[in-house]
Amino acid sequence: MKARRDVYQAIADPTRRAIINMIAAKPQNVNSIAEHFNVTRQAISLHVKILTDCGLIVIRQQGRDRFCEAQLNRLSEVAAWVDQYRQHWESKLDAMETYLEKLKKERYGKQKK
Amino acid sequence: MENRKSNTADRELFLSRTLNAPIALVWEVWTQPEHIANWWGPNGFTNTITTMDVKAGGEWNLVMHGPDGTDYDNKSIFREIIPYKKIVYEHTSYPHIIATIEFEARGEQTFLTWHMLFDSAATFMEVVKTHGADKGQQENVEKLNAYLAQLKAGKP
Repeated sequence: MKARRDVYQAIADPTRRAIINMIAAKPQNVNSIAEHFNVTRQAISLHVKILTDCGLIVIRQQGRDRFCEAQLNRLSEVAAWVDQYRQHWESKLDAMETYLEKLKKERYGKQKK
Repeated sequence: MENRKSNTADRELFLSRTLNAPIALVWEVWTQPEHIANWWGPNGFTNTITTMDVKAGGEWNLVMHGPDGTDYDNKSIFREIIPYKKIVYEHTSYPHIIATIEFEARGEQTFLTWHMLFDSAATFMEVVKTHGADKGQQENVEKLNAYLAQLKAGKP
């Protein structure tokens, strides 16, 4: 069975987020990525594989070296959806504001005029 | 390497708003079921609140009725209540959320903050994604409907 891979799964893991941050600045090979973490090279390879499957990394072959390059455009999809979800909660506050105005009018509206 | 600002940054949502109403009224609207049913939303939804026992350990059960007739159960437990100051509730239905709402009087206005903490970044992403997918689907259906209407109108 093939695991479902998408950008959300990619960034749900802190190590994977750190890897993206790192290579966003400068493409690096797996060995130099692994040097920054206290986990095995195998573990980093697996993270890189997941990130590649999710479309957040592309591997470029340069001679004998394989460089991991970040594909940050995929992340905007996530940002857009987080925004939509936030909007869902903001709309509760909008509704609360409207309702408060209505209540205020009912209770105090007549005194003021 | 650790993000020292907050280790929950990847699994929380934070909203704040200055409401144009005195704190007593805002508190009332937040804590009385007959009021909360009027604004909890979302748009097009109605709400039935079967239990709302606003005290630490008290239950809060709210059913949202969607425009298509689907009911969504929302069960929560209040964890902390400080009158006119703070409400903490734990949403025990999926997704598990610890929500903290704080109230601060600013003259005749009230500054309200709403913090929602999810179990993990993975859960948060799952929720965001599902929400986005639902929205997307909804929009797709709307687009399809508009398109079909257009087609119909265009036909002799």
